[in-house]
Amino acid sequence: MAAPNLSRDPLEPLPLLEGKHTDKTINDSLLEHVWRGAGKGWWALFACALSALSLLAIAICWTLYKGIGVWGNNIPVGWAFGIINFVWWIGIGHAGTLISAILLLFQQKWRTSINRFAEAMTLFAVICALLFPLLHTGRPWFAAYWLMPYPSVQRIWPQFKSPLTWDVFAVSTYFTISLLFWFLGLVPDLAALRDSSKSKTKRMIYGLFAMGWRGSGRHWAEYKWAYLLLAGLSTPLVLSVHTIVSFDFAVSVLPGWHTTIFPPYFVAGAVFSGFAMVLTWMLPAREFLGLKHVVTLKHLDNMAKILLVTGMMVTYGYVMEHFVAWYSGNPYEFSEFFRVRQHGPMAPIYWLMMFCNCVVPQIFWSKRARTNILVLWFASILINVGMWCERFTIVITSLHRDFIPSSWGNYSPTWVDISLFIGTIGLFSTLFLLFLKFVPAVAVTEIKELRHELDHDPTAETAGVTH
Amino acid sequence: MSAGHEDSGFVARRFVLAEFATPEALLVGTRKVREAGYKNLDTHTPMPIHGLEEALGLGRPKIPTIVLCGAIAGACIAYAMIYFCNVIDFPINVGGRPLHGPPANIPITFELAILLAGGSSFFGFFTLAKLPLPYHPVFESEDFARAAVDAYFLSVELPPEGEADKVFAEVQTAGALSAELVTESER
Repeated sequence: MAAPNLSRDPLEPLPLLEGKHTDKTINDSLLEHVWRGAGKGWWALFACALSALSLLAIAICWTLYKGIGVWGNNIPVGWAFGIINFVWWIGIGHAGTLISAILLLFQQKWRTSINRFAEAMTLFAVICALLFPLLHTGRPWFAAYWLMPYPSVQRIWPQFKSPLTWDVFAVSTYFTISLLFWFLGLVPDLAALRDSSKSKTKRMIYGLFAMGWRGSGRHWAEYKWAYLLLAGLSTPLVLSVHTIVSFDFAVSVLPGWHTTIFPPYFVAGAVFSGFAMVLTWMLPAREFLGLKHVVTLKHLDNMAKILLVTGMMVTYGYVMEHFVAWYSGNPYEFSEFFRVRQHGPMAPIYWLMMFCNCVVPQIFWSKRARTNILVLWFASILINVGMWCERFTIVITSLHRDFIPSSWGNYSPTWVDISLFIGTIGLFSTLFLLFLKFVPAVAVTEIKELRHELDHDPTAETAGVTH
Repeated sequence: MSAGHEDSGFVARRFVLAEFATPEALLVGTRKVREAGYKNLDTHTPMPIHGLEEALGLGRPKIPTIVLCGAIAGACIAYAMIYFCNVIDFPINVGGRPLHGPPANIPITFELAILLAGGSSFFGFFTLAKLPLPYHPVFESEDFARAAVDAYFLSVELPPEGEADKVFAEVQTAGALSAELVTESER
């Protein structure tokens, strides 16, 4: 029948689910990659990830054995790779929460296919991020009572007026809530895994994690609220986390850091880099895990549009920073933005950042680029690079050229810094590959729900605001 | 029930498990069975179904209240903690700034409110649902393995002396595809 097609928005002709499906075919096609044995490609990637992870182990051991003197940061650049990578990883995690929580509240149906994936990314990215401040304390085994208000006989408490202490609370809350939200969403899918498993051992293991879920209507009634409220709570949480991260800089007095635009500009940058990272992983995953029918070109198109929008927000942030540096008449600010960043020793990184974050996303004005897998993948990598350069520029340039030339210095990372950074990419990849092997990459239950909604109301697919 | 069971004080719970073809049929069927006067109904579906709360005759969900309490408790605990540390237990004068600086307390108060609210949503749900629960009589059914995949079940718990046949007839007229009796096993 042509009627349902006619009622579709002609501007959005791409479907959210491709092909005809029943609950059973959705279930089987989305769980298939868990039951299928690991292929050669997976093992090859896993080997690369593990070798990067072993680099992390070496770098951590060396840091703990020698102390943080083996890192390249030294006065005046007291903060370097540690905070750059921390902010970069936390930002990457933010797309997961945005997709799972904010798009849920806005009833964007296309989120369903990518939310589980993005939430897992959040968790792993936050784990990578947390490593850096912990190692930067030098003696992480003491960190708990340096960072947390632990009642010791010394009666010394953390400085609650410091953004660094706020950061401790914000990031640990963020990790905990993301984990609870992810697991709550996963429980019905674990039950589906339990009930479709062929061997007794797998049934036992998945059954253990499914916690006896039996799809009870009485449970669903409370479950829907628990899930919705966790989404509602995650939304202000994710905004607050990167806001507080930006306070670490904005509350100081250094030129280039001391600006009020930092909180919104950091949040936009976080979403920008996070979506890029989702694409970097999603494009190969949908290809190799057989997810093309649920992660359609429409999803890629939508994600590219978000990259374009957030990319322009980030660009606006850059423009405003430069404008205020000039308009304020503050010579230090002016020198920071127009001399040090553009012509100083770190200028190549600054220009690379400008290219990757401001120019590259402009390609997504074209629909052909938004639905071209290769273009999307390379652009997403460039954006990740660009956002790392942004954090590098912010942290290093302000520190190495401050008010008095006599206190100027320079910075270069050591092999330990670089190994730690590559190592966290290894950690992230290892965890992610394990996730793809043992847990359904797409929220099966929510896709079944989506299919029923779409069957009853074909217009709902494009409207995204009706139920 | 055999005499052996009564000796150990074990009374096996019995359920009639009826399968329906579609979520819509399950909704209609559940409503009919409930209106026929049966209590202790439950449904088992692979996904949440709009309108089932009403068909099962459930009251308002309790989670929102629990979460609100969690949020308020979190905020109060956080603010009290900061106040105690900075003002009561170890007042320290840093550059003449006030010991009690409310704006600086906002972030941590907010974060802990979210943490406890989110925690009470998660743990509140599992407490209300009485999960984890490794064994439930409905798992005795061979077909029940499809409840998390693609089948829509209605379960009716029988009273100790209740007759299964009457319930079978009831779910049949309510549109069930098939129905079976499951009995709790003693372990």
